[in-house]
Amino acid sequence: MNGPTASRRDGPTSAIRPRRVLGIETSCDETAAAVVDAGATIVSSVVSSQVDVHARYGGVVPELAGRAHVELLTPVVADALARAGSDESGRGIDAIAVTHGPGLVGSLLVGVAGAKALGLAWGVPVVGVNHLEGHLFASLLEQPDLGWPLVVLLVSGGHTLLVAVTAPGTYRLLGQTIDDAAGEAFDKVARFLGLGYPGGPAIDAAAESGDPRAFDFPRAFLAEGYDFSFSGLKTSVVNTVRKHPEATVEDVAASFRQAVVDVLVAKARRAAADVGATALCLAGGVAANSLLRRRVEEACAEDGLGAFLPSRSLCTDNAAMIAAAGWFQLQRHPEGSPLDLGADPNLRLPDSSRGGAAPAVPIVAAD
Amino acid sequence: MTAAVPRSASSGDGPVLGRLVPLLAVETATTLVGAAFVEGLDRASGAPRVRWAGRQGGREHAELLAPAIDEVCGKDGLGAVRCVAVDLGPGRFTGLRVGVATAKALGQALGVGVLGVRSTDVLAWAAAEWLSGGGTVDADGGWPPVVVAVDARRGEVFTATYHLGPGVVPGHGATGAAAVRVVSPEAWAGEVEEARRRQGRVVVAGDGAVRYLERLTTTDGVQLADDPDGLPLGAPLPRALALLALDRLAAGDVPMSAAEVVPEYGREADVRVNWAQRIAPPVATAPGAGRRRAPEAEG
Ligand SMILES: [Zn+2]
Repeated sequence: MNGPTASRRDGPTSAIRPRRVLGIETSCDETAAAVVDAGATIVSSVVSSQVDVHARYGGVVPELAGRAHVELLTPVVADALARAGSDESGRGIDAIAVTHGPGLVGSLLVGVAGAKALGLAWGVPVVGVNHLEGHLFASLLEQPDLGWPLVVLLVSGGHTLLVAVTAPGTYRLLGQTIDDAAGEAFDKVARFLGLGYPGGPAIDAAAESGDPRAFDFPRAFLAEGYDFSFSGLKTSVVNTVRKHPEATVEDVAASFRQAVVDVLVAKARRAAADVGATALCLAGGVAANSLLRRRVEEACAEDGLGAFLPSRSLCTDNAAMIAAAGWFQLQRHPEGSPLDLGADPNLRLPDSSRGGAAPAVPIVAAD
Repeated sequence: MTAAVPRSASSGDGPVLGRLVPLLAVETATTLVGAAFVEGLDRASGAPRVRWAGRQGGREHAELLAPAIDEVCGKDGLGAVRCVAVDLGPGRFTGLRVGVATAKALGQALGVGVLGVRSTDVLAWAAAEWLSGGGTVDADGGWPPVVVAVDARRGEVFTATYHLGPGVVPGHGATGAAAVRVVSPEAWAGEVEEARRRQGRVVVAGDGAVRYLERLTTTDGVQLADDPDGLPLGAPLPRALALLALDRLAAGDVPMSAAEVVPEYGREADVRVNWAQRIAPPVATAPGAGRRRAPEAEG
């Protein structure tokens, strides 16, 4: 990668480390913008959810998501700037951080194109941020003094992974789902049970009045390794309901939720012990699940671990976490990403323990 | 190159345009990605001074567009821009989103209006330029109809028929208006032949016309317009977009605020839920990692 960088600042100013960062996030079905100071203080954070757009389809429709992002990005950015005491001229904004993967390519491109245009017009650098890395930074926004190393359980509609964080920006991927993401399993089971979309909150609500021991659903790989599998569990729920038409939705939801949470918590706990972590963190939309939060707190108390459960607004997709991760990258590479930054729907988490992992910032070739 | 449509800009409407140049045009509706920068109007002739850059980009609209804008604007050009023009489509969905998101963000950040025009209007303007520049207007000064076809993929084209002539600005007012429809290549070919039967001669343009020219039963009286380089007029070019935008502004069209601008997709969204596509694949090389991705159907 070479060519001009997004920064149009010449001379000595280009060495200045940006401080106030506008974050932009459009990887799936939330259009979000936020202003964060020094990677730590949320000055403003605006999220426009497209849940209503996709609800009748029971899942995210990629083409509708792309169309909605185009219409929402301008007002969401304007709102985030106004709430931060700035305006559309970008007064006081030193840099822009934008999610460039992983996610839906047609959605990612809206954010990347918009961010680069704002960067060109304002004359500030633009840095491409890995969405997963953003989730890992979300916890630091509420608790900057988390000890190291820590284990993060990142569970959302698109992802299920266990990551050891040895320092900010240094990750080791311990395990991940080999099929469905946990949130995807929630959506699919909720759709099957007629509970609506999004599935996580719907199942959570129904499960509260059900019996979690009514059905003994499978817990894949419970005692082995750190990888996850949820597609067998989903199939088992479908088969069980067909076999027991008398089963209540509440009991099925409670038993399903229990099975998912048992696996997530057992693996996260074992990972924390194996890495010698000081704390266990939750991240991603499924981290809003009430049973998961209770069980993580209990497990951490038993194991003498710090438990960190970010607020719901930081668990789900947001741009503050992108701005925070971007600020961190800009400390090392103040020039940001090249102008030919694109979207990478399959972008991987930069894993410092695996050779050849992509650097978090595409570095401009020195030649 | 003389413009096809006499530009009122060059004769009297200078003050209107003077407030709207420099103008930046952003083109991503087809596989050709680029930008054009109208620095100003020549003092003596009133002709616009245009720099433009465009590249065949396949799907790399986002990668190519920002460097093209940087290139045509030069060091301080972008900050001086007073109007952003953008091709709204119809065309490739993903490309349109990149172009429109870029134009909206530029309009927003620079505090200037955005003028959206249709891809078919840009092609009609370029065909008119070719007609008037190449001396192929009929002896009596009559203009043949121009039937534009933009490849809509999935075996269809977006088509629109224009009846141009001196002073007619594609997409402006009743004379420049043309309805865009999505039809099969055979239906398009039928319309071309019908237009030729009625008026003796017809001009076609656009990547859909290039692709499906062979579907015509005869090319007698059918001409494929050339672009200024003498190549078949397939993609809307950034230069044509910029010059059409100037004509539209001179004719009285008004830029919109950035927030109001939306692409013209020309076709409803495909609302199948693609679970595999929704879910980004696992992040590392676990067995089966990445196998869940499906190719994108559009754009
Ligand atoms: Zn996420």
